[in-house]
Amino acid sequence: MRKEDTVKLISAEGFEFVIDKEAAMVSQTIRNMLTSPGSFAETQHGEVRFPEISTTILEKICQYFYWSLQYAKGKETEFHIEPELTLELMMAANYLHT
Amino acid sequence: MAMYIRVKRNKTTYFIQCDPTEKILDIKQKLQVLIDKPVNDQQLISLSNGEVLEDSKTLAEQKVENDAKVALTLRKDDNEFEDINIVKPDDFYQTRDGIGEP
Repeated sequence: MRKEDTVKLISAEGFEFVIDKEAAMVSQTIRNMLTSPGSFAETQHGEVRFPEISTTILEKICQYFYWSLQYAKGKETEFHIEPELTLELMMAANYLHT
Repeated sequence: MAMYIRVKRNKTTYFIQCDPTEKILDIKQKLQVLIDKPVNDQQLISLSNGEVLEDSKTLAEQKVENDAKVALTLRKDDNEFEDINIVKPDDFYQTRDGIGEP
């Protein structure tokens, strides 16, 4: 495990989630940020800020990234979403192309 | 990837990929890479039962499962470990001081 293989996602309230790049790239939006040359200054420091995504939602999204990786490798478990998070989560997922 | 755990301290959460047969020491070595603190200065505590996790035991032996939340505490200058300090988003809203404004 290397630090360069991780990325830090920062929520609206300034909470930080350090996750594997492999997981973050489940999101097409983050994949574009991490792979397009020179266009996003933030990603050069391995940090991406999401001022519009709350901490609770961002954590849920990170959990989803890992769930998605597990699911792709054949581990079929349910992904639980609290009903009260549904709308906000959908908006974030739409933004992240997830 | 067999599983992951969520290691939490202050306002940061580390998602660590791991395997049920890995020992706690293996997890601490992964954390060392991310936080630049030697394994001896790290303490991991299961948040489901409050038990301090032992280096020589595996995740499975200590019932740490996929998506489990684990607290990280670090050794202080006086050689004792700090108390668990995990900020929750709701707590933070009340003391919010213009940080992270869009």
